[in-house]
Amino acid sequence: MSDSPFWNEDWMKTQQQYWENWTDMSRKAMGLEQPAKSPLESAMDHWWKAVSPSTTDFNQDFMGKMMDQSKSFFRMAETYYQNADGSKTWLEAANRTVSDLQNMFSGGMENVFNGAETAGDDALHKMMAFWEMPMDNWQRMVSSLSLVPGDVLRNMPHTDGLDRFLSAPGLGYTREEERQYKKLTQRVVEYQRALGDYMRFFSNLGLLSANRLRDKVQALVDEGKQVDSARGLYDLWVSSSEEVYGEQVMTPEYAKIHGKMVNALMAVKQKLSHMVDESLGAFNMPTRRELRTLQDRLQESRREYKALRAEVELMKEQMMDLRKPAAPAAKASAPKAAAPAKKAASKKKATKKKAAAKKSDAS
Amino acid sequence: MQPFNIRPDQMAEEMLDYSRKLGKGVQNLLNAEKIDTGVTPKVEVYREDKLSLYRYEAPGDVVQSSVPTLIVYALVNRPYMTDLQENRSTIRNLLAAGQDVYLIDWGYPDEADRSLTMDDYINGYLDRCVDVIRKRHKLDKINMLGICQGGAFSLCYASMHPDKVKNLVTMVTPVDFKTPDNMLSAWVQDIDVDMLIDTLGNVPGELLNWTFLSLKPFSLTGQKYLSMVDVLEDENKLKNFLRMEKWIFDSPDQAGETFRQFVKDFYQQNGFLNGGVKIGDRVVDLKNISCPLLNIYAEQDHLVPPDASRALRGITGSKDYTELSFPGGHIGIYVSGKAQKEVPPAIGNWLDERSK
Repeated sequence: MSDSPFWNEDWMKTQQQYWENWTDMSRKAMGLEQPAKSPLESAMDHWWKAVSPSTTDFNQDFMGKMMDQSKSFFRMAETYYQNADGSKTWLEAANRTVSDLQNMFSGGMENVFNGAETAGDDALHKMMAFWEMPMDNWQRMVSSLSLVPGDVLRNMPHTDGLDRFLSAPGLGYTREEERQYKKLTQRVVEYQRALGDYMRFFSNLGLLSANRLRDKVQALVDEGKQVDSARGLYDLWVSSSEEVYGEQVMTPEYAKIHGKMVNALMAVKQKLSHMVDESLGAFNMPTRRELRTLQDRLQESRREYKALRAEVELMKEQMMDLRKPAAPAAKASAPKAAAPAKKAASKKKATKKKAAAKKSDAS
Repeated sequence: MQPFNIRPDQMAEEMLDYSRKLGKGVQNLLNAEKIDTGVTPKVEVYREDKLSLYRYEAPGDVVQSSVPTLIVYALVNRPYMTDLQENRSTIRNLLAAGQDVYLIDWGYPDEADRSLTMDDYINGYLDRCVDVIRKRHKLDKINMLGICQGGAFSLCYASMHPDKVKNLVTMVTPVDFKTPDNMLSAWVQDIDVDMLIDTLGNVPGELLNWTFLSLKPFSLTGQKYLSMVDVLEDENKLKNFLRMEKWIFDSPDQAGETFRQFVKDFYQQNGFLNGGVKIGDRVVDLKNISCPLLNIYAEQDHLVPPDASRALRGITGSKDYTELSFPGGHIGIYVSGKAQKEVPPAIGNWLDERSK
């Protein structure tokens, strides 16, 4: 029996052994050779691989999201669990967890953006995926607007000297084509910079969230309350992150960063679209620009047609009125039948309608 | 006192319990193939391009109001939010409250609809739907209920066609687009809307979804899926969740030219308050609205903050203005149990008093 004030180490070892055996068994059952680092996460992966092929696309997507969050949840628990091991008090464990988070956010996101490997690959590093959620959402959206999966522009290689190269004028027979490609590359570089600013902004938010988590923990102590479950800890982390996020994205600084990133992406897409149009034109095929001109003209014609049709309908009704002897003058803005019916309606204030009216042929 | 009281055996048990729920619940997920939405019987009474105008069938034992109510939903997402399921249906409860309900389904615009303007939507489609209903019921004026962006459209319509609107109800409708707590508004101020539309044509539903989910990314794209594990075992609760999930991601593209004007005139220029909005050849002036107004907003609305809606007070020409606040969020106002009990009956009573 250990004399650790924190917990019974023998019990800890038994628990660890249990998870390891469980993982080992499921790994063998699934034929997976590589050992996984987190038994909980690994078990969940195995289970999901077995189940997912039999689900529908919609459910697969939904379950995939749930699995991602389950992993974040487990990572949070695991991080705390690791920090608790070796800490003399709960508070020390909490402080270690928050400090680790702070260190991670101090430089971690930069590394993620620059493609560098973060040191180690423990649960805390994986937990950073949680704070990548806003960026992950962005990349999914960019992917949906692109022919290729993911945000390919994010990782397109570029160097510091590229600006100078791109600003050099083109020469010779292919000068114009070269200029187009240089312009496109310039816009890609601008997008990467804008995306970099966006990601750095979130890196700072991660640090602030870790501080907010510490404040919330302190507030709990002050109020005499306790977090008594891993889920409670996860929820505390979510509310800390959401609070800080909500405050920071309302700032003019964020509005500029956000606007710059969206505008930069649109500039790339616009340039690409022009270049595709030029290629289509060269093949004597209809271009997007031509199609849009046609769409605009067609819509204008439809507007005029619908307005004329409405006028004809009104004239028909007026003609009908003229044919009726001693018919009251029509009110221009209301349908012709409205006047006599209004009387009927006012007499019968509430009527029980038994059957739906026939489908109008107004279309 | 220590802030944490999580023993390792408790944590292990919690994780096991979580995994157990997930494993057991997946069977329900596998069985939940078809997600039904839009449950109240309805008849299509008019169709134009991709638009459908529906009339909902009232229960046989309810005496209906003689003045029908047209629901004008937003172009964002789909209108079946108002009729999501039997026990979560604003429409069903409006019918039960004696209202004769029509609804416009705008459909899914595609690239060929890119040139549709706000003039086409409001003075075109919406006006023709209103005329169809007026003609069917032989009335000069009908009631209108606008929801969110549809509420803004309804305000524009009522200001340009005051002779056709008897009573106007706006629900979670933005009026002041620049309140300090309006996150969406803050984000669009630096966006080059012209370049966005010139480039994309229509605004993809995915872009709109990303924007809405970005308002609360950790709760909306993370935490809620974790919470879902707790109800996976309950088939009905799971279906409710999946219905809502379907609605959230069932996001039509928006016609480019309409989006361009809506963002520039309202989100960037705050046109209801500052004026200067022209739709087609008509000027939008809320002072032209003289009909009774019921303005309903949600106190915890993260999309349209309460102050954005409350700004309607005093800026119209109406002498009969009523506000109704609901303690819930932008979506909860249609689907929560409390909303079902309170909101549609309140609308029904308010309309009945003014539809005589």
